[in-house]
Amino acid sequence: MAALAAKGAALLPVRLSRVARALWGWRVQRGLGQDAGPAGGAGAGEKRDAKPAFTDEAVQDLLYRMTGLNLQKVFRPVRQELKPPKYRLLTEAQLQEATRKAVVEAKEKLRMPPVLDEREPIDDVLADDKVLEGTETAKYVFTDLTYATPHRERFIVVREPNGVLRKATWEERDRMIQIFFPKEGRRVIPPVLFKDEHLGTVFQQDRHEDILNMCIAQFEPDSADYIRVHHRTYDDIEKHAKYDLLRSTRHFGGMVWYLVNRKRTDGLLIDMISRDLLDDATCLITLYHMLHPECQSAKEAEEGKLHGIDLIKVFVKTESQKEGYIQLALQAYQEAMATSTAS
Amino acid sequence: MVQLGSALLKGYRGGHVVIRFALGGCTNRPFYRIVAAHSKRARDGKYLEQLGCLDPLPNAHGEKVAGLNLERLRHWLGCGAQLSRPAEKLLGLAGFLPLHPMTITNAERLRRRRRRAQESDAPPAEGGSQEPSAAV
Repeated sequence: MAALAAKGAALLPVRLSRVARALWGWRVQRGLGQDAGPAGGAGAGEKRDAKPAFTDEAVQDLLYRMTGLNLQKVFRPVRQELKPPKYRLLTEAQLQEATRKAVVEAKEKLRMPPVLDEREPIDDVLADDKVLEGTETAKYVFTDLTYATPHRERFIVVREPNGVLRKATWEERDRMIQIFFPKEGRRVIPPVLFKDEHLGTVFQQDRHEDILNMCIAQFEPDSADYIRVHHRTYDDIEKHAKYDLLRSTRHFGGMVWYLVNRKRTDGLLIDMISRDLLDDATCLITLYHMLHPECQSAKEAEEGKLHGIDLIKVFVKTESQKEGYIQLALQAYQEAMATSTAS
Repeated sequence: MVQLGSALLKGYRGGHVVIRFALGGCTNRPFYRIVAAHSKRARDGKYLEQLGCLDPLPNAHGEKVAGLNLERLRHWLGCGAQLSRPAEKLLGLAGFLPLHPMTITNAERLRRRRRRAQESDAPPAEGGSQEPSAAV
């Protein structure tokens, strides 16, 4: 555990500065949550208020509890330059203090990246000068290099060879901003690894967490590529039931949100029960009820004020597809509990 | 210690601040920096501030990349800087200034020349023999 404390102190600055700094701006942006109603939508006002967004306190709390806190996995060695390990001799009290600090740092590392709707394509013509038709062979891309403007508000315009002056598309914007204001870990042209045909190789090597970290570094959270890579990863994890790969990482919350919104929670539920994580299972079902309040199990749970195993049983009876498997897993769990309490 | 700094600074008679292109790069590979400098300075010499850059060769995506620090550009224009003609044309293309009249004039001249070349191409091909003429 002493070695763990030293590891944590060295790892944190590298991790935070490289990947998470730009994401802090997203904490301020509300009203863009995925699967919550669009801001300014007419009509369904009370429906929009009732449906919780990804950023709600209650939802975040549930997702965080399900993520788990495996300190060994969070502070696993990251590829950096080799330094000899530092050992410290601590008393019991100091060790507890170091563990407590490690937990606080781990919470920081487990902050979930934002889940947003896909951004609308930009299609805005500022001027059309037909006089310039045929004079140029290539288009000009002009970027405003004022240091103080936020990247979202930066002016990036394109003058086409046919004389049209239009705003740049999102891909052009990202490329230009990376050329003039480079961010660490991001490339001007996205690596070929993110194409669909190559993602399969990554998934075969069980490196889902690495590809998701690379994706966060490379793309903006509301870009089409970011959403596509994340959804492809979650689908693969669900197909092969590799939920444990993401447990205790910051991607677990996003995966659970994706599955619960599409009502594909059965595999995850079986996995949780088989690992004896009953609290996580109840959190999952609570989240399901929050997001789909009109389903039958939600109503029954509300009436009966159920908790624990009863909640799971009601959910399994009404909402799940793989009822048999979940019943088996529950039975196995209860037998294990009985034998452990008996012995 | 004797301070010689201000005595060593170059003093010009007249001259004004211009915003122009300073050429850099290598053989057969130009690269322009958009720069605010005294008009009497060398083209690539000491400048007051760099306001942007222009890459005249198209990149892999077929675009000529240009960056302009509009805030500082506005500051120097407010201080009374003048613009060189290529700088004016570039800012006209960017939309910061209206299109330069010479851009429009050159475009029209080019169009007229091409139309005349096409017309001189067409009548001999009509009235001439069946075999296709060589490209002009």
